[in-house]
Amino acid sequence: MSVLIDIILAILAVYLALQSLLAPRLTQSVFLFFAFGLALALAWIRLGAVDVAITEAAIAAGFLGVLFLDALRDFSPRGSEKKENLEAVQNALPKNNTKSLLLPGMALMLGLGLFLLIALEAVWKIPDGGGLTAAAEALLPESGVEHPVTAVLLNFRAYDTWLEIGVILLGLLAVFAVGGIKIYRKPVMATQDPLLRQVILFFTPVLFLFGAFLLYIGKTGPGGAFQAAVLWGAIGILLHLGGRPVFSMIPRWLGQLLLTIGLGFFLILGFLFIAGGATLFEYPPAHAGVLILIVETMAAISIAAALTAIFANLNQMNEGPNEIESTN
Amino acid sequence: MDGFFVIVIVFLLLNIALGLFRVWRGPKVADRLLTTQLFGTTGMAILLVLAGYLKELTLLNVAITFNVLAILLVIGLVQVWKNKKEETP
Repeated sequence: MSVLIDIILAILAVYLALQSLLAPRLTQSVFLFFAFGLALALAWIRLGAVDVAITEAAIAAGFLGVLFLDALRDFSPRGSEKKENLEAVQNALPKNNTKSLLLPGMALMLGLGLFLLIALEAVWKIPDGGGLTAAAEALLPESGVEHPVTAVLLNFRAYDTWLEIGVILLGLLAVFAVGGIKIYRKPVMATQDPLLRQVILFFTPVLFLFGAFLLYIGKTGPGGAFQAAVLWGAIGILLHLGGRPVFSMIPRWLGQLLLTIGLGFFLILGFLFIAGGATLFEYPPAHAGVLILIVETMAAISIAAALTAIFANLNQMNEGPNEIESTN
Repeated sequence: MDGFFVIVIVFLLLNIALGLFRVWRGPKVADRLLTTQLFGTTGMAILLVLAGYLKELTLLNVAITFNVLAILLVIGLVQVWKNKKEETP
């Protein structure tokens, strides 16, 4: 009976993915992509991966949503001035030359083919007994948490998670590299709109509390640092939209501290473990639970700050050339 | 009882499929956004029914996540498109 749900979900997800790529208008693509995110979250739940479903819900519905809306505004022509800009950019681009594209194209094909072969080989080799599931389950009591996903992410494979926090910081650096660091100097101009003020006043504590709840529940069930970080990051985005850009209001050193504390604390903790005679990220089993919670909190703060900064910077980049000139 | 849950979920999923029509046509950005918000609400209903069907209460967290963040899209649309005078969203 439940096969019916799965069939509809599968058709819906594939259809939405195709349509969001093929839709003739950008607005259609963007909003079909939101619907795709919803279908994907439901599909993850049907596959039993509630952790991934929460992440998908948080990132697709929240963060990507505002980023896409922001990008959409840039791509929709605004008067003649914008069109001229677009034409200028198009003329500045090098003309397509089929000959010069042949070699890189072939190299790309070769690389992707090799990657596919390696991936196929990796999938082929997974043993019948469910891979490492049994090993992870056996060591669960020593990990300090009760939820296997959190145990793997924050304990058994902490190195990967540490690098992932770095990847988000790297994304922020890429935004800085393209647009310049401007977030620290935008003048604070609080919104006069009473409705928006009330919404922000109401949602800031709700988002904070629910984020903290997801962070803490990660110990025993689906949830954790990344999901909480998106919710906390949403606070920063809301405040930015309400005319109170967080990074303009706090001192510069505090902003930098918030952005790097997750990566830094994790690494310092790892080196302390090495100094204590263990290997990198090998928690002492007695204190593993508390340490994981602290690491997750720091990571969530950092990721939330990075998401806020990414949105703030991208949003600022689009506010006309004059403003960018004056704030540099 | 399980059959009832499945029928409700299928009905709600078909609702989303019908709503896609408005996303496809919706002349303005705001029409499309409202449809997406409706998807969010329908999705939450599906999640709640699924939570009862699969007997897994953690799905409620997914539903809350969807709902709490839905406000971000609306405010994002209003604020981001505010300065664009020529075309109302």
